[in-house]
Amino acid sequence: MSLASAGKRVTIQSCACGLKKLSSNGFTVQKIVSAIVSDIGSVLLGKERQVKLSLACLLSKGHLLIEDLPGMGKTTLAHALAQVLGLSYKRVQFTSDMLPADILGVSIFDRESSQFHFHEGPVFSQVLLADEINRSSPKTQSALLEAMEERQVSIDGETRALPQPFFVIATQNPLQQSGTFALPESQLDRFLMRISLGYPSREAERALYLGADPRQQLAVLKARINVATLSKMQSLVGQVKTSDSLLDYLERLVLQTRQSPDCAVGLSPRGALALLRAAKAWTLIHNRSHVLPEDIQAVFPAVAGHRLQRDGSHGEQLVERLLRQVDVIAA
Amino acid sequence: MVSSKELLPRESLLWIFAAQFVALLPQFTQLPLWVAFAWAFAVYWRLEVFRGRRDLPGRTLRLAVIVLTITGLALSYRHWFALEPMIALLAISFTLKNLELVSRRDAFVSLLLAYFVSATLFVQEQTIPYALYGLLCVWVITAALAAQLGSSSARPRRALGISVRLLAQATPLMVLLFLALPRLGPLWSVPQDTSAGRTGVSDSMAPGDFTELSKSTKPTLRISFDGPIPPPEQRYWRGLVYSEFDGRTWRQGFGVDPHNGGRVYWKTGERLLPQMGPRYRYQVIQEASRSPWLFALAQPASETQGVGETADDRLVKRTPVYSRFAYEVRSWPRETLQAPVSLSNAERRLNLQLPSFGNNRTREWMASLRNQGLSAESVSTQLLAHFNSAFTYTLKPPALGADSVDEFLFASQQGFCEHFAGSYVFAMRAAGIPARVVAGYQGGEWVSGEEYLLVREYDAHAWAEIWFDGRGWQRVDPTAAVAPERVRNGLESAAGEEFLQESFFPLHRIGVLSKLRLKWDMINYRWYQTVVSFDADRQQNYLRRLLGEVSPLRMALLFAVPTLIILLGIGLWIARSANGRKLPPAERLYQRFCQRMARVGVRRRPGEAPQDYARRIASEKPQLADYANAVTAAFEQAAYGGDSSAQKTLRKLLRWHFWLRRTATDSRELVGL
Repeated sequence: MSLASAGKRVTIQSCACGLKKLSSNGFTVQKIVSAIVSDIGSVLLGKERQVKLSLACLLSKGHLLIEDLPGMGKTTLAHALAQVLGLSYKRVQFTSDMLPADILGVSIFDRESSQFHFHEGPVFSQVLLADEINRSSPKTQSALLEAMEERQVSIDGETRALPQPFFVIATQNPLQQSGTFALPESQLDRFLMRISLGYPSREAERALYLGADPRQQLAVLKARINVATLSKMQSLVGQVKTSDSLLDYLERLVLQTRQSPDCAVGLSPRGALALLRAAKAWTLIHNRSHVLPEDIQAVFPAVAGHRLQRDGSHGEQLVERLLRQVDVIAA
Repeated sequence: MVSSKELLPRESLLWIFAAQFVALLPQFTQLPLWVAFAWAFAVYWRLEVFRGRRDLPGRTLRLAVIVLTITGLALSYRHWFALEPMIALLAISFTLKNLELVSRRDAFVSLLLAYFVSATLFVQEQTIPYALYGLLCVWVITAALAAQLGSSSARPRRALGISVRLLAQATPLMVLLFLALPRLGPLWSVPQDTSAGRTGVSDSMAPGDFTELSKSTKPTLRISFDGPIPPPEQRYWRGLVYSEFDGRTWRQGFGVDPHNGGRVYWKTGERLLPQMGPRYRYQVIQEASRSPWLFALAQPASETQGVGETADDRLVKRTPVYSRFAYEVRSWPRETLQAPVSLSNAERRLNLQLPSFGNNRTREWMASLRNQGLSAESVSTQLLAHFNSAFTYTLKPPALGADSVDEFLFASQQGFCEHFAGSYVFAMRAAGIPARVVAGYQGGEWVSGEEYLLVREYDAHAWAEIWFDGRGWQRVDPTAAVAPERVRNGLESAAGEEFLQESFFPLHRIGVLSKLRLKWDMINYRWYQTVVSFDADRQQNYLRRLLGEVSPLRMALLFAVPTLIILLGIGLWIARSANGRKLPPAERLYQRFCQRMARVGVRRRPGEAPQDYARRIASEKPQLADYANAVTAAFEQAAYGGDSSAQKTLRKLLRWHFWLRRTATDSRELVGL
């Protein structure tokens, strides 16, 4: 339906044109993203939003923290992501008696060659699922977190680079559960996003009952892209543009976290940068070239929630309130 | 901000001392030396207190110090009720305040007092260097005040910067007040200390007096003419008349000295002025001389307040000239006037007075001339011819003994103007012709293309006036008979090598420096003309020129209009900066859209992103869905997509809607489209 009247050449169609499509060398982000999302969606039903968020987290070279009760599909999500993206995948189950060497690797003396041989730990993989990270002692936690930040590990005085890309998906049980060590704020900050999956919807659950075993389905998932494409997509994130108006909104939002009496501490500049990077990745996933306020709003709970939370509460209400308080349009 | 109860930090103290030093420095040169020591002592004590080595002085000690300083002032000054002791008292109180400088409040008192102390600078002089120094004082004191605000503002660069900014902001107000604030005359005048040496021509003339003056290049008079200018040989600036001679020194004598029976016409019109208009009109700016004599061409009249005319055609001031003084003069040269009929007996007696003995040779010579029955003119001519025959004009005459006139006329025959004038008048009186010595200045130097005539101390001159029956007093300059170039071209050409010989640096020989000096004098003169002498009269004239007529309404406008403009500017500036950055145009347009939608019933929530809002509009008002989507898309393009053409579209969309709203009776009609 056109609203154009005689003499006026303005039509809804002409203004409703989408933002420019991002494409590069024969592949379109749109196609890849929809393939990945639908593939993962076939194993993790009804969690499209979380899948997209974790994809965005991966594209913006951040690490992901999934916080939820056991059995909600955290491992399935991590595994499916690694499969679909064609990345090597290792899983470590964290326990309270784990040592850093269990993650990083250890040098063992080989009698035959009379030499020390380094046996790589599980950290030497492209996707590392650190399951129940908060069940291990802080010492072990920090060994992993160090590796996440530096993307390299130093063992026996030798610095070893981790594979590229290096993506940690850590899961943690809700803090109220027994046998957990809470991650300190400084280490929570290492995770770009924290998401929770939540119970599936009724339809999704019904489909789950009816469908095949997710474990088997995981096995048949094929890689949609290779590492080269992934790194190209990661570089595309940096090309997503932001306008002054959008940065104004971001500024106001960050300022609100610092000024609001609800927040114990505001968002740090690193947090603000993380927010912007995640929003760009989200924009890329949605195949636009310019970040919209919606993009920031979409990633804000995942990026800011764990950075702003207080007293172990899940900060969701706080984040929603902040989003409601800050006007998208400058007043 | 730190509370006023807190003790002063180091920076504050140092700033206060700096401000005090700057304000007191010119006073130190004028006041007794012990005042400077007292200040240094007070500062030292206060610093010791700061270091914790000493306590602030107690009540008894403070009382003792006060008594001591008051005694010191009493001993230093004889007359109490004068300006200088009062300034000294102010300076010493200011100094002693350091001994109770504890809190921030004390600091403010001390600094505000420093402004006042620095203003006393202008009691001494009001020249450009002093004005600049006054500015420096205000700058430093304001910086010291700014430094009291906190340690970050106490850094020198920052404090001085703040001070400059404050002063710059205050300058328009200062100019306005300077121009428009009513100038009150002094309500009372405090006598100034007269003990300090007078300068210039004094009220007596002994041999050697003028020689002293000839060594000084200090400017004395600056004369600017309004209309015709007298030729060089007519530029005799009369200041004093000496009638009484005691054999060595010439004095004014009874009936001539205004303080000693001399008649002065203070009020305008008291003395009958000539019927015709004056030939010369001019303004004289006279430097401080600490004596009441003013200098003008014969026969002068002045309407300036406080200036009177004497019977012997001079001008005097009611109070001594303590600071630069400007007066307007009109002069009628004697030859243009009708000659006075006769000399009164008293005056004749006065101008024939001679000491009872001494200088017998001159008396005999004159008696012989008189006995020959010669007229006054021929006696004068003979005498001048005698001068012309063998005399030398020199700045270094030999010392003269008891019969000074005899020795000069017949033995040494070398002298300066005072010798010529004195001996000439002596001789004329001895010949029975009424005569008197007139002292003042002669000549002057043009500055900046005849803008004004600069007369210096070395232009001081003495000459004679003799009475001719039927012609009145006539000027005779015996010096001109010997050294006519003295009258025509000034002392420098007449004295030649001797001119300013004793000055340590013969700067006058360097042409560039002479020129620079004249230039500097001209700047000074303009400064005085425009700033210092801006008195009530000039102010009235200026305001009249500016406003047409000086009425309360117009004065109020003069004050109110600039004030309003300034306030408006500040208001606008505050309003702008309070609003922060202006809203980008796309967001402004979108706000308009939001307002319209709110009118329809769908108000945007603050945290609602445009697309969410559009979705809500679509669900609540489906008929507006397309429109909302179009606006949202265009807005997103314009605001976030960096697409300037989208902004045009957005504007069109909003305008178009506006147009629709006007033509459609109800927004529901939109559905039909």
